[in-house]
Amino acid sequence: MVQLVGSLRKELADSLSACRVLVVGAGGIGCELLKNLVLTGFKNIEVIDLDTIDVSNLNRQFLFQKKHVGKSKAQVAKESVLQFCPTANITAYHDSIMNPEYNVEFFRNFMLVMNALDNRAARNHVNRMCLAADIPLIESGTAGYLGQVTVIKKGLTECYECQPKPTQKTFPGCTIRNTPSEPIHCIVWAKYLFNQLFGEEDADQEVSPDTADPELTWNPADTEARATASDQDGDIKRVSTKDWARSTGYDTVKLFNKDCLSESLFKDDIQYLLTMDKLWKKRKAPLPLDWLEIQKLGKILEVTGTGLKDQQVLGVAGYSQLFSRSVETLRSMLADKGDGAELVWDKDDPPAMDFVTAAANLRMHIFSMNMKSRFDIKSMAGNIIPAIATTNAVIAGLIVLEALKILSGDVEQCRTIFLNKQPNPRKKLLVPCALDPPSANCYVCASKPEVTVKLNVHKTLVLALQDKILKEKFGMVAPDVQIEDGKGTILISSEEGETEANNSKFLSDFGIRHGSRLQVDDFLQDYTLLVNVIHCEDLEKDVEFEVVGDAPDKAPTPPSAQEDKNVANGNKDSAEPSTSSKAPAEQDDVLIVDSDEEEPSSSTMDVRMESGGHKRKLHDAETGEASAKRQRLDQPLAADEEDDDIIALD
Amino acid sequence: MAATKTAKEQKYDRQLRLWGDHGQEELENAHVCLINSTASGTEILKNLVLPGIGAFTIVDGHKVSGEDNRAQAATELLQELNTDVSGNFVEESPDKLLDNDPEFFHRFTLVIGVQLPESTCLRLGSVLWNANVPFLVCRTYGLVGYMRLVVKEHTVIESHPDNALEDLRLDQPFAELKSHIQSYDLEGMGKKDHGHTPWIIIVAKYLEKWFSEHNFQLPKNYKEKEAFKQLIRQGILKNEKGTPEVEENFEEAIKNVNTALNPTKISNGVDDLFNGEQCNDITSQTPAFWVMTRAVREFVQNDGGGNLPVRGSIPDMIADSEKFINLQNVYREKAMQDASVVSKHVESLLQSVGKPSESISEQDIKLFCKNAAFLRVVRCRSLAEEYSVETVNKDAITCSMDGADGEMVLYLMLRSVDRFYQQHSRYPGVYNYQVEEDISKLKLCVNSLLQEYGLNVSVKDDYIHEFCRYGAAEPHTVASFLGGSAAQEAIKLITRQFVPFNNTFVYNAMSQTTATFQL
Repeated sequence: MVQLVGSLRKELADSLSACRVLVVGAGGIGCELLKNLVLTGFKNIEVIDLDTIDVSNLNRQFLFQKKHVGKSKAQVAKESVLQFCPTANITAYHDSIMNPEYNVEFFRNFMLVMNALDNRAARNHVNRMCLAADIPLIESGTAGYLGQVTVIKKGLTECYECQPKPTQKTFPGCTIRNTPSEPIHCIVWAKYLFNQLFGEEDADQEVSPDTADPELTWNPADTEARATASDQDGDIKRVSTKDWARSTGYDTVKLFNKDCLSESLFKDDIQYLLTMDKLWKKRKAPLPLDWLEIQKLGKILEVTGTGLKDQQVLGVAGYSQLFSRSVETLRSMLADKGDGAELVWDKDDPPAMDFVTAAANLRMHIFSMNMKSRFDIKSMAGNIIPAIATTNAVIAGLIVLEALKILSGDVEQCRTIFLNKQPNPRKKLLVPCALDPPSANCYVCASKPEVTVKLNVHKTLVLALQDKILKEKFGMVAPDVQIEDGKGTILISSEEGETEANNSKFLSDFGIRHGSRLQVDDFLQDYTLLVNVIHCEDLEKDVEFEVVGDAPDKAPTPPSAQEDKNVANGNKDSAEPSTSSKAPAEQDDVLIVDSDEEEPSSSTMDVRMESGGHKRKLHDAETGEASAKRQRLDQPLAADEEDDDIIALD
Repeated sequence: MAATKTAKEQKYDRQLRLWGDHGQEELENAHVCLINSTASGTEILKNLVLPGIGAFTIVDGHKVSGEDNRAQAATELLQELNTDVSGNFVEESPDKLLDNDPEFFHRFTLVIGVQLPESTCLRLGSVLWNANVPFLVCRTYGLVGYMRLVVKEHTVIESHPDNALEDLRLDQPFAELKSHIQSYDLEGMGKKDHGHTPWIIIVAKYLEKWFSEHNFQLPKNYKEKEAFKQLIRQGILKNEKGTPEVEENFEEAIKNVNTALNPTKISNGVDDLFNGEQCNDITSQTPAFWVMTRAVREFVQNDGGGNLPVRGSIPDMIADSEKFINLQNVYREKAMQDASVVSKHVESLLQSVGKPSESISEQDIKLFCKNAAFLRVVRCRSLAEEYSVETVNKDAITCSMDGADGEMVLYLMLRSVDRFYQQHSRYPGVYNYQVEEDISKLKLCVNSLLQEYGLNVSVKDDYIHEFCRYGAAEPHTVASFLGGSAAQEAIKLITRQFVPFNNTFVYNAMSQTTATFQL
């Protein structure tokens, strides 16, 4: 520390050892950050992370070793740091930062909060908590070779939510169930199927043909009639997979009779889809698989692609065998766990990954898509961001330097800094940009936040308002909603049991109509939002609501040769916190666009991230700092770390 | 099969996605030497131990807290991070090793020298230069980070270029591609097949038509390309009423016209390699890279009709699996054929210099052919050239000093504190009570440096004060940044993937800016 006084003023060095800081996340960036903080002279550090250590963390999260796998990241990080800096005063929480215990008062304990997170929900939340507590926040993220650091200070800079982030790519149920057109649709379907068969039942994860597809509504009676007819024929099934499973009385023999299951999924369901002929007028119709025929061919394995086993593409026969084998393995795993047990899908669990690889590929084949290797499917299904020690070390170094500026009272000197993969044409590896002032229209940090939402008041349920609009879209944790109707009608209460009865009613049932105003409060976040309702009957298919003034989501551009090698940013961000394999909140509808590289030896190995459909070339963004910033800010921060459920890339 | 994944693959999963299993293999075969296990040194090594280099050796004669040797302490702790890595240490100063056993350094894949005094750096630089061992010089000095790469020649097969064009040969289709295109009859096929014909075939078909009408010239300018797109558009099927159907594959073809019609040619960069002397004079000492480059040159001149071997990959596209795979196989098989012709050339070149043909593997040749369009060679200037008054790159320095506050001034300051060290055997400002007097001494060093090299630039006093204030400190957060950056370059050098910087990198932690210079 003697040396440090050389480059740090004494007052600053003193304030470091006295101040208390919070590190949110103890993953890739978090480990590096904790080390840098104590070695710079910070003494009082609190660290929180809900995750546990996985083997795939060990290539970069240097505070963890093999023997720590399965343990709390926050706790082990603390113990490891204390080994080389026993004088540090570290408090570790194995918990979610979104837990109500960590309220505004908690945040006020700190001089500074540093995020080392991997998902947008938690970032949004910490952003609000820091605004409410008026504590400076350093936000950061990495993905492969790219990284970013920025500083958020209430009233002085943009907050994390000032710039609208592209919404996560989600897929309409009918695309997944009826008309997949990209490999990712088949992968999502396969993950749903896993949960349907082995995991937690979720009504939003239906895998069987969807007769309510809006494309069919031109004559629903017709379809229904045909469906009923075929039902009576007994040869075409239209019940849900879960129902079907139930109808077998969960008789495991019947349920997991491989051929029976496969016939149902890859032949009968597809034949049923074919009866919805309206769907196939402009699309190529799927081809049902003749399962028994394939089983006969089973011995002949076609393999394309070289390199690691994982990077090979097996043929239809190969995947059908893999499917049967993995179903068998999972069935016995489920049986071993006893009655009522459920399996949780985890990309690092080989049979679960095999199941999804096989089921997704068979469906891709049926829908005339090129099949993908297990390696590629893992990237897409697990939303994996490549992650390495070097980038995290660089970013964590930058974070602490920004922290020093904040503690010296020089917030004005702070910068948003982008780390490039290699020096840009102007020979800059780092691109620092001045911080922008808060956006006056921000629905989070403006003095009286207000938004306008278009929806159909006759079709929107109170529950949808709460879950999809207030929680998912506007990032609230526990909203209370009051209608500004002069009476102060309470529509939603965050107290349990008070307004549950309202959930299944439509907004119009409460007199909400065009021009109504709702006051929404989140007490934990100390956040009030005024929602103006615009009634709208002609929203697009599958769109439940639209926020006025939001950047409309552009249609995803199909990956082209050029774009492939480039990085957009952070799909990492999901609407839900990413979780370890143990956490139940699997994020399924957040996804990626596929990458079409075949083997990592080709040039497509570079990181490719995707932001809500538009890919952008970071390299283009570096011609001028001002423009660089504008372009890049559209992209959410990526995050190193656990990838677990949210992102893409190769 | 797929279910059995080794523990290693699991541990390295996130990085295999960046450099592949062969990149990982290079890492695991590497032996890296670190000189001085300071904060920056251990940061760098940490970032190499975690991803799994094969072995490291720390050379360090310093002690930590009393009797403990720093090399040993650092080795033991770094070793804990990854049991797959073998750690070694030598308790000796690099100068002593250079005195007694300079060949000691020849065995390493890469030597990383951290916080070295100028004299040691230059001595070691010349030993490594002559032994062809890459040398990465790293330094954290207060709020400044510095790296210098010293490598005579670093060849890169997999440079991972951004925005690489596909290699489709539509302007000059090879025989097999021609006949594959012939096998399609767009007019005669059913609607389903028509809508699932790969766009490459569509473009090729209409290009044949175009050629016959345009004297075998590609559509060149905007107008011609638009006309060509229109030609394709007319091929979209129409329904009974005469309105065009939706055929996404045709839309895809139209969208790809601009890039697909780029003439097949060899880039200047690759052409320069073909004409280089390493390519002309193949001896038994010639590295595999150059033997293969020469073999590809032979291929271009004798077999390829002036073109590189076919790359053999095509982008994903709308098509049914069968058509896509058939087309992919046409390219893939041609690529294999071309690679085997190149392989014959490699064999005879090796034979002509009396080396066994197995000394370059088929797999390497395939990889080389696949990347032939993207080959890169990085040649750095030696430290001797940078430091000599005769060969100093004055232009680069003077040009970069235009702004007076750029990163170049930090480089000059680092050179000045080295001069200070030579004269006073310590760095300026190390002791608080000396800061004032050191400022004027350092100023003398700055002036004599500028004078000696005849540099007509001025250095603001602020920088002299600031560098004295640093007292040669190595703040950890700057070391963390440098450790990340340097390890990243080391990984590029070891895996021979991606292109390393050439040759000087300066980081300014005050402004969070970086710059690279060729000095």
